[in-house]
Amino acid sequence: MARRKGIKALLLNWRVLLLIIFLVGSLAAIAANGLTYGIDIGGGVALIAKPEKPVSGDTVNGIITSLQNRLNTFGVKDITIESQRDPETGESLIVVKVANITLDEAKQIKNLIESQGVLYMEFNGVIFATGADVTVHSSDWGLNPRDCSTCWYVGFQLSGKAQDNFKKVASGKTGWPVDIFLDPPTNSLLVVSSRVYQELQNPADFNGKAGTQAPTLLERIEKAFNITVVEYNNQTAEEIIANATNLGKKSIIIADLPESLYNQVKDALLQAGSKIRVSYFTPQPNEDMRDFVKRILNLYGPYTLKFDPAQGNSDRLQLSGSAATKEEALQEAKRIYSVLRSGSLAVKLHVISEEYISPTLGAGFKKQAGIAGIGALIAVLLIVYYHYRRWKIAIPVASTSLFEVTIILGIAALIRWNLDLPSIAGIIAAIGTGVDQQIVITDELLGGSPSGKVARRMGLIKRMARAFFVILASATTTIVAMSFLLMYFVGTLKGFAFTTILGVLIGVLVTRPAYAEIAKHLLSLD
Amino acid sequence: MASKKKGKAPSRPADGILESKRRRLSFLVRMEPKKMILYPLVVFVIAALLLAVHPPEKGIDLKGGVVVTVYHISATPDELAKYVKDKTGINVRAEKFSDPITGLSGIRLYAPAGTNPDEISNAIQLKYKNADITPRVVDPTFGKIAQKQGIKAVIYAFIGMAIVVFLFFRDPIPSGTIIFSAFSDMVIALAVMGLLGINLTTATIAALLMLIGYTVDSNILLTTRLLRRKEDTAEDAYLSAVSTGFTMSTTTLGALLILWLVSTSDVIDSITIVLIFGLLADFMNTWIFNAGVLRWYVASPFKFTLKLRRGS
Repeated sequence: MARRKGIKALLLNWRVLLLIIFLVGSLAAIAANGLTYGIDIGGGVALIAKPEKPVSGDTVNGIITSLQNRLNTFGVKDITIESQRDPETGESLIVVKVANITLDEAKQIKNLIESQGVLYMEFNGVIFATGADVTVHSSDWGLNPRDCSTCWYVGFQLSGKAQDNFKKVASGKTGWPVDIFLDPPTNSLLVVSSRVYQELQNPADFNGKAGTQAPTLLERIEKAFNITVVEYNNQTAEEIIANATNLGKKSIIIADLPESLYNQVKDALLQAGSKIRVSYFTPQPNEDMRDFVKRILNLYGPYTLKFDPAQGNSDRLQLSGSAATKEEALQEAKRIYSVLRSGSLAVKLHVISEEYISPTLGAGFKKQAGIAGIGALIAVLLIVYYHYRRWKIAIPVASTSLFEVTIILGIAALIRWNLDLPSIAGIIAAIGTGVDQQIVITDELLGGSPSGKVARRMGLIKRMARAFFVILASATTTIVAMSFLLMYFVGTLKGFAFTTILGVLIGVLVTRPAYAEIAKHLLSLD
Repeated sequence: MASKKKGKAPSRPADGILESKRRRLSFLVRMEPKKMILYPLVVFVIAALLLAVHPPEKGIDLKGGVVVTVYHISATPDELAKYVKDKTGINVRAEKFSDPITGLSGIRLYAPAGTNPDEISNAIQLKYKNADITPRVVDPTFGKIAQKQGIKAVIYAFIGMAIVVFLFFRDPIPSGTIIFSAFSDMVIALAVMGLLGINLTTATIAALLMLIGYTVDSNILLTTRLLRRKEDTAEDAYLSAVSTGFTMSTTTLGALLILWLVSTSDVIDSITIVLIFGLLADFMNTWIFNAGVLRWYVASPFKFTLKLRRGS
């Protein structure tokens, strides 16, 4: 009876209650949010790029939005782009992580980052302006309620030369389409299914109000960017390559066709040691043909010319359009605004670190980390038992460590921290010091001497105070040491420092005090 | 010497275990403080010399370079290296690796900085369709950044640790000894890395930093037990502390050993190896060197000033 009362009192002890609350909360967070993994565990590519010359923080933000726009053509993949500043030199590095992709996609992403985003404005098959000709004034975009409640606009300015070009090509052509491209696949052979081929010539989708008067999109891209489109009629991979070689193309794009054809072309190109690159596009679910074509070509718009550029002298121009709702209109305007801005970026990026892990391999790592963790925990259990020969000590020590891992993972899930290998190493470090500290507590509780004499001379509270002095001192030291890591490292080791600090904090504030209570209870019942 | 009076406490098997452990460790108590200080210093000097002669090599993330790891491949390393050389003209060094527990094995190809990894992976993909290829490329400029930052992180962490330790003990000799022990642990761990051919990478730098945490744990325990002593004699206090320390170290080492056996990840493997050797060095530096200094210090005439300062 007394024993049961003891357990009840233990469970109601605030330190133990705190542990239970944290545990339940962590399990709930893991169940609700799930764990997110870094590239090195989940699979994907991590790239670190450096601007060719030092740039200001504003420019870095511009680069990031630009990359975001350009990488979005890869569909709905999980992309994170962030900048990290070297606190000493003030240099900025850009870290791009894309989860769950194939090696080929990873290569394409690297090429895309290293190639300077080039913006083209094209009219009637003539490029009349590139990114360097376009100036966008900050915040010159928004809703245009004078036209309609869901109309948007983006203002920009053209250089004098581009302005002249524009007047030349577009005079008297009100209602014709104006196309804007960011990184179009220039000098390429586009092999497409018949429905994509039809869509490229669809005047309703791509010709503004000009209808069949204006040349089709297919004709415009051929003239402006040397993109040749052919319809797929069971040509062999060799025939496609021969065609591209004869036309002097630098890349082949296979769209809306079986993936096996892409693989055949890729292998044949490798076999021949050809410099021609090949890429593959397939429509996403819910993507209509118009959007699919726009994605292949990196086309924005087309927009309709609303006035005759030959009349009037303003060099200020406006793109405008409308959307279904106000929110969508604002979103569209913001997107176009950032595209126009990114097109005028002059700094080149150079990838200085690259790491790719295939998703299948990542799954293997995940399983392994689990096995390693459980193995280490069992090792702790057995060794602690070996030292004390009491399960009443070994089981609480090992389970407190398990609780600690659970709480660290729970907080990681809560704030959606990406668990990568260094983060896991940090968890191991925290657990390692945690076990050490539990042993310190246990030994103080046992009185430090088998004779029992000392235990009587020195009160329990004093001994606990001594144990917690050791714990506090070492926790403070670890946190101070790791804070420098958090501040001074670019890239990979941030996760390590973060989880170590998190683990040590949880240890000092939650699990260690609770363990002391539990151990006190169990040992006094002994 | 541990007092062996039979108290009223009922004798339990666990007490027997505890006692036999102390008996095994009691050789440390019989050691002269002078020798306890001297031997670890000799080890430190040897390690420092070794480190000067044969420092650990920098890994690609600090030096720059290209590593292409290929899993699920049937070829031998030589075959693969020759094939890559024939196909692309790139000279690569091939190395096999395998893990006895998970059975995961593969080949690592090392190529000089500036090589385009895509050429290598394209060539491998062509011949070995099922191979899982994971290229890792580090530009020498990034390697330099990482290296600089790593050195800075270690130095700052060390200074931070030193300040915290000093603030906790406010006594130059015990805190100085702890700081030296941490330094010696790192030097020994680095020397062992050089001997075993473990590269200095961002991961091993992290391990060296972790070592600071572990070292401080055990040293603070020892110093607290000896300076804020509640036991009858310094020997008794030392013996009870070293017994706790022995339990701590063996438990951590056991867990690390399991991790090392199970993991195939380069990062985890190198971290655990460095920690294992660092902890072994730490055992010596804490329980022999630092204990020797403290025992001499507690017995020395300075002792009373210490009592005045710390109270207790």
